[in-house]
Amino acid sequence: MAFVEQHIHDAPKTFISKYLISYDHKVIGKQFLWSGLFWLMVGGLMALMIRWTLAYPGQPFPVIGNLIFPNSGGVVPPDTYAMLFSMHGTIMIFFAITAILIGAFGNFCIPLLIGARDMIFPTLNMLSFWFNIASSFLMIFSFFLPLGAAAGGWTSYPTLSTNLGQPGAGQTLWLISLFLFGVSSTMGAVNYITTVITLRAPGMGYFKMPLTVWGLFLTSILNAIFVPVLGAGLLLLTFDRVFGTTFFLSGAAATSGKGDPILFQHVFWIFGHPEVYILILPAWGIVSDLLSYFSRKPAFGYKMTALCLSTITVLSTLVYGHHMYTTQMSPLLTQSFMTLTMLISIPSAIFFANWLGTLWKGSIRFTSPMLFSLGVVFVFGLGGLTGLYLASSSMDLYLHDTYFVVGHFHYTMAASVLLGGFAGIYFWMPKMFGRMMDERLAKIHFWTTMIPLNGLFTGMMIMGYAGMHRRLYNPFIYEFMQRLIPINTFVTLCAIAMGLAQFIFLFNLFKTIFGKNIPKASDNPWEVGTLEWQIPSPAPHYNFKEIPVVKCGPHEFGNPNLKGDRDFQYQTEELAKA
Amino acid sequence: MDISFSERLIGLIAEGSSLLVKASEQMSFWERISPPEDISTSGHLIHWLFAYTTYVNLFWFTILCLGLFGFSFLYSQRRHKKSLYTHGNEKKHLMITAFIGLAVFVSVDMVITRVSSRDMKEVFWNFPEDSEDVIKVQVLAQQWAWNFRHAGRDGEFNTADDVVELNNLVVPVGKKVMIQMTSKDVIHSFYIPNIYIKADAIPGRYAKLWFDTTRTGTFEIACAEMCGNHHYLMKAYLKVLSQENYDRWTNESQETAIATNDTENMDLRWGWTWGSK
Repeated sequence: MAFVEQHIHDAPKTFISKYLISYDHKVIGKQFLWSGLFWLMVGGLMALMIRWTLAYPGQPFPVIGNLIFPNSGGVVPPDTYAMLFSMHGTIMIFFAITAILIGAFGNFCIPLLIGARDMIFPTLNMLSFWFNIASSFLMIFSFFLPLGAAAGGWTSYPTLSTNLGQPGAGQTLWLISLFLFGVSSTMGAVNYITTVITLRAPGMGYFKMPLTVWGLFLTSILNAIFVPVLGAGLLLLTFDRVFGTTFFLSGAAATSGKGDPILFQHVFWIFGHPEVYILILPAWGIVSDLLSYFSRKPAFGYKMTALCLSTITVLSTLVYGHHMYTTQMSPLLTQSFMTLTMLISIPSAIFFANWLGTLWKGSIRFTSPMLFSLGVVFVFGLGGLTGLYLASSSMDLYLHDTYFVVGHFHYTMAASVLLGGFAGIYFWMPKMFGRMMDERLAKIHFWTTMIPLNGLFTGMMIMGYAGMHRRLYNPFIYEFMQRLIPINTFVTLCAIAMGLAQFIFLFNLFKTIFGKNIPKASDNPWEVGTLEWQIPSPAPHYNFKEIPVVKCGPHEFGNPNLKGDRDFQYQTEELAKA
Repeated sequence: MDISFSERLIGLIAEGSSLLVKASEQMSFWERISPPEDISTSGHLIHWLFAYTTYVNLFWFTILCLGLFGFSFLYSQRRHKKSLYTHGNEKKHLMITAFIGLAVFVSVDMVITRVSSRDMKEVFWNFPEDSEDVIKVQVLAQQWAWNFRHAGRDGEFNTADDVVELNNLVVPVGKKVMIQMTSKDVIHSFYIPNIYIKADAIPGRYAKLWFDTTRTGTFEIACAEMCGNHHYLMKAYLKVLSQENYDRWTNESQETAIATNDTENMDLRWGWTWGSK
């Protein structure tokens, strides 16, 4: 804990050392935030093009359609459609959500919340960001290649993703880009884990860390273990494409030797299933904290929640096979994976109970971060429960690869993570930029996001239940799906509404950061006792003048023994006793 | 530009709502969103489990919403000034959470997992014996079409009297159909919406599945796994005929097959020996 000496260096002076090649975890966090928001917009635009094509096949995409697709008169062509949904998934998962939840909050929060002056490896941290940027640019550049970007879905199953199905260089670029992303992610993960283990302030045991740090810590462990597995798969697939090996080729396409396309699915999902928990764990952590902060009540069953998150982390590594039921693995494996998957419902139920327990008899302040946290409880409830249908191997025979899956994972991965991310941004904005975001706009943003969001993803699940399968350029060539046209239209309108609502957020964000006459935030505007709220806003270079000494837990609210007019305790204070 | 976009949007909303109105005249909302008609003897199992899971989910989601909205209402700062100071780690609290965990285990894990396993074992993986009177079909998936091969009169695959159809699977009603399947190029997924099953067709492997039908008619077969730009066009038809019509169809198409068989063209011999792994 305190055995690592943390020096205070001089603050950087030049523009380059301050904003570009910065070693400061707070600046790197902000860099990740900006890049994440940028890719969120790009990915969102792609989502709208996909939705547009599904609801109005053959009609030109409004406003910018003619600019982007001049050859087809503004209509999204089928090959571009495949690129769009592949890149939408890839960009959203790896460059938007990972960047915002893990890159931005991980970097910004971990040192501040555990009472450290910086990450333990600042150079690694800086490199992690620039590798991420390099990777994201490689990814988007692939759109400008002669045959376009990768178009095999974000899962890129061989043999479709070998030269047989994707002759263009876009798929190779996709592989290299994601490999670089893996390097970036692994560097970040190693850094986070070591920081949490070594740099916790004196007195801060693991069970005195805020749950945000717990979430980020567990995420980093998963990242460090499983992203390299993805890297291995990506390398093998690159060899298949570039050097003519046949790791994943079989059947008529394997002219020399024989591999197995299913091997890639195993490698991919060994990484891919933990990946969804990598994305959601930080959001769970943030939400668990915020619910307690704004209920003015200690987190209900704090240890239990932390242990449940850890249990889920372990379980998440053992269930990947439920993505592959239709490949007809051995029945023994299928049943084991189903049983293990279903087991996740138990720790999930317990921490949901703890979330509700936190609200119970609280004194709830409905600030914008709280609204978004409550939103996460709602949407993750829906997303988690609908997972039960998909975990069952017999129902999966029908639901596999339908829009039910799409709706389910958007509820868990997109909706929950996005709302959790917004909660975090609204919450830490004063500590990041020293200014408060406009509460009224934030609340409008919440409701204008929440309502269409549910229409959007519930609509998707309904279509999936009605049998509509995924990744179709024009689903309505199937007669049994023609009855779904109005529902598709409704879902697309919801998507457009949700997309437009994000401009409220962007306006609010830019107004707050760059606007004039915005009042300075106080040091502790939310009246919360964790370490970051004891230092000035925005957090100064090298955070803590004196390394704080922690004496109580992060959620000490409403202690009846407290003297004075505060209803909370700082973590540096001795727990008030009668 | 903005005006035209908003006008367009309003137009689309109007169009969408008029479509909804028009649609609701022909078909109720529930009809619209229910799965395709079940034409198999196994589909009711999936219906049952889906319904059960839905009830369980509704139960838990109602509790969640009661807690979420109820507590938000009751314990807002305005109504409830002073929060209760508890860390939720007393014995009674642990008992409650443990009880919830147990209730989830009983309602979810024990029922859904068990029923699902039972259905898989007794029905979906319970393949008919080769000796049974079943219709055997070999399926070769390719970008972007389905090839179906019936053994013909001699019961042997890859012979001159094989009936090979493109995007057209003909089966008699009421009989079990046994399918062996592989793919020529990329991974496809054989999906019959009306029977609620699918299985991946993977190059270099033989997948198998079985189904039966309860009524005659023409139904759709789709590819459910992304298989390239024209994935959406990979559609075939399942024609379920009465036994009588099926026999007539077999005879006729067999004659045609023998008459038109090109023994020189080895590409036509894509079939394999039945049961080979």
